[in-house]
Amino acid sequence: MSQPRSSYAVGTGLFIVLGFAALAYLATQTSSVANVHQGDSYVVDAQFTNIGQLKERAPVKIAGVRVGQVQSITLRADHDVADVKLSIDKGYDHIPLDSVATIFTSGLLGDQYVGIEYGSSKQAVAAGGTLARTKSTQPLEEMLGKFFGAGGVVDNVGGSYAVKAGFSNVGTLSAGAPVKMAGVVIGSVQSVHADPVKLNAQVVLSIDKRYNAIPDDSSAAVFTSGLIGSQYVAIQPGGSPEMLKDGDEMILTQSAMQLEDLIGKFLVNGSPSDKKDAGNGSK
Amino acid sequence: MNVRAPQPNNVVSQSLAQIGNCGLFLLTLLAAIPRSFRYVRETIRQLWFVGAMSLTIIMVCGLFVGMVLMLQLYHVLSIFGGTSASGMVVALSVYRELGPVVTALLFAGRAGTAVTAEIGLMRATDQIDAMEMMAVDPIAYVATPRFLAGLIAMPLLCCVFCAMAIFGGHLVGVTWLGVDNGTFWSNMTAQVDVHTDIVNGVLLKSLAFGAVVSLIAVFQGFTTPPTSEGVAYATTRTVVASSIAILALDFVLTAFLM
Amino acid sequence: MTQPVRATPDDATLVRVRGLTTVLGGKTIFDALDLDIPRGKITSIMGPSGTGKTTLLKHITGQMRADAGSIHVDGQDVAGLSREQLYKLREGVGYLFQNSALLTDFDVFENVAFPLRQHTKLPEVLIRDLVLMKLQAVGLRGAARLMPNELSGGMARRVALARAIVFDPQLILYDEPFVGLDPVALNQVLKLILTLNQTLGITSVLVSHELAAVQQIADHVILLAKGKVVAQGDPKTIADDGSPWTRQFFGGEADGPIPFRYPAGDYAAELGFAGAAK
Ligand SMILES: Nc1ncnc2c1ncn2[C@@H]1O[C@H](COP(=O)(O)OP(=O)(O)O)[C@@H](O)[C@H]1O
Ligand SMILES: [Mg+2]
Repeated sequence: MSQPRSSYAVGTGLFIVLGFAALAYLATQTSSVANVHQGDSYVVDAQFTNIGQLKERAPVKIAGVRVGQVQSITLRADHDVADVKLSIDKGYDHIPLDSVATIFTSGLLGDQYVGIEYGSSKQAVAAGGTLARTKSTQPLEEMLGKFFGAGGVVDNVGGSYAVKAGFSNVGTLSAGAPVKMAGVVIGSVQSVHADPVKLNAQVVLSIDKRYNAIPDDSSAAVFTSGLIGSQYVAIQPGGSPEMLKDGDEMILTQSAMQLEDLIGKFLVNGSPSDKKDAGNGSK
Repeated sequence: MNVRAPQPNNVVSQSLAQIGNCGLFLLTLLAAIPRSFRYVRETIRQLWFVGAMSLTIIMVCGLFVGMVLMLQLYHVLSIFGGTSASGMVVALSVYRELGPVVTALLFAGRAGTAVTAEIGLMRATDQIDAMEMMAVDPIAYVATPRFLAGLIAMPLLCCVFCAMAIFGGHLVGVTWLGVDNGTFWSNMTAQVDVHTDIVNGVLLKSLAFGAVVSLIAVFQGFTTPPTSEGVAYATTRTVVASSIAILALDFVLTAFLM
Repeated sequence: MTQPVRATPDDATLVRVRGLTTVLGGKTIFDALDLDIPRGKITSIMGPSGTGKTTLLKHITGQMRADAGSIHVDGQDVAGLSREQLYKLREGVGYLFQNSALLTDFDVFENVAFPLRQHTKLPEVLIRDLVLMKLQAVGLRGAARLMPNELSGGMARRVALARAIVFDPQLILYDEPFVGLDPVALNQVLKLILTLNQTLGITSVLVSHELAAVQQIADHVILLAKGKVVAQGDPKTIADDGSPWTRQFFGGEADGPIPFRYPAGDYAAELGFAGAAK
């Protein structure tokens, strides 16, 4: 306490400097200010037919490394394409002219950025030049369609044919759920209803016309993607020379596993290695 | 039998009276700012006590908050394969909420109580009266410098806290758990905005908390009965009132700023 | 340096109290009190503890406000002064607190230097010399770098005295300066008060119970009791003026007009001896 007066001033000064240094660090190193180009940059044009959610100041990356940012996005008056100006650091001035600019999404829900994949041209794109080869963003619906094989998308492409299958239990399977073969979506569930006579569930599968060589002794099973995922119909091809046609009924079906059954099996069999068997047994 | 003058008899009216007095005291404090310019040295000295002396606890706590936050986030985010966002989430949650709030709570416990106890004891030992007698205005010399010091110290401490939290998050995430260094920073820098997160989050909130905590601490010190019991109660009240005020104000500020 | 308490030689009274009435916590401390403190003299105010001697000093310096009556210090009405004027007045008044009231943040030297640093822009060398002179006068130059909590009560009192006189005020109010002093220190402080008064003409108001000490230096004694001046006069003869107040106070008798007890209800009744009550 009895320090001479000046030491307070020095210590306090140090404290203030430290505080401001921390602030400067937060503001410049951990925020989007860090993304504002540090040195000189040059501007390159790229045209996209669809920019999706791309925003100004979104990063421009090469091989995942940030090299610049989106400077502006404008719609060209004469075309229905978006004109995107990319501001790229001077340090990266050897981008081949035939490089491909693609709009990527970081993860499924992340923000979009422009990725540049190097071409092979000896000539580098100059300041003010244009990257002619671009790939636009994929609309989310399309991506989700690919992901989940939403019926509509497949139906609209090449037409489909309907096949019936009876299950003693469909679990939570509902119309629109994907139909997969070898893990690939080939169609969707058209309808699910109970048969008043057979007392089982009648499921109508709508399968893409392209897949018209499915043997008629193939089996259909209701599977769950992961433990808590949604349910889908998996088709296991058989060996018959006869193929399934529109309106046919699949004979071999395997119903959805009830969670209670699974747990029951697990408890009965007990050990983890048995759990694997239980899983195989459901196929 | 010593019969006391009737006090406002329920908690609500007592608290309201306290808030009213506290508001009036704030006006007194602010009015004394011009007069306290000549005591700049005292403000600097208080900045040393409330600011620089709180650095250690702020730094250690910031480090651990960042570390534990990263640990928790990593395990939750790895379920969804989103560990690359962990650095960003640490930064955003620290800048917007944890940094200002935890710093202010620590500040109330570390510096606020010290200020209350110090002023209370100064009153109990006639030091405040002595200043009056030496023609030194105790509001301008004792109260305002401590208030201003708290106001200045809080944002600085909060910045240090946040920087340490980022460091702690980086330590756990990148060094120990193997989150990619580049992803850690690029996701953070992509999402953290200087205006909404650092100016509104870190600076503005901590400035407001600094004002509230310092005001409560100085007010309690000046109004408590000048006895050891009074000082003891006043320090407790400083912590309780500050904590409530910080969290309530945090909600209001978040609603307005975000 | 300003000397707000102007010396007007034609007025022999520095502090004039008229009709002072103060009620604190339902208790009448002063009841139309009149008294005069002569300029350039040592006036001792005596009275049983709890009479309001400290309260009177606080009224003189404007720290407390009276309910009625007036106090003039060097012709200025204390109650009518603005804060700035009051502070100007206080710069010319030294006050020795009953419990020293040293600033615990600062060491002895800085405590004594405090008024100088606050109100002057003197060079550091000069401040140093002034402070060391005052500390030497109270015999504590060697303790300059001790903190207040390292001092005994008597030492702290002497540091507070050095601080009170560092500004060479025109009026010094001593609130019980002899309490806690050993005989040697007491003698020194007595001499100091006397020297300050005789060489610099500083008016001194001395609140004290030590009649022997008061008799050595005081020019005038005022005895307060029950909110009034009950006796005043020369310290050597006041004890023998024959009034019941002085006989009881200076004789230390329990019975007399000065109540030994704080006002209370009937003792027996409060203890519950209902039958014993009157
Ligand atoms: N702020 C206050 N509120 C209520 N009563 C007070 C206050 N200050 C002093 N008193 C009362 O005034 C009386 C005189 O106190 P004081 O001036 O300190 O006496 P002393 O003559 O011993 O110095 C005491 O009875 C005390 O209880
Ligand atoms: Mg007293």
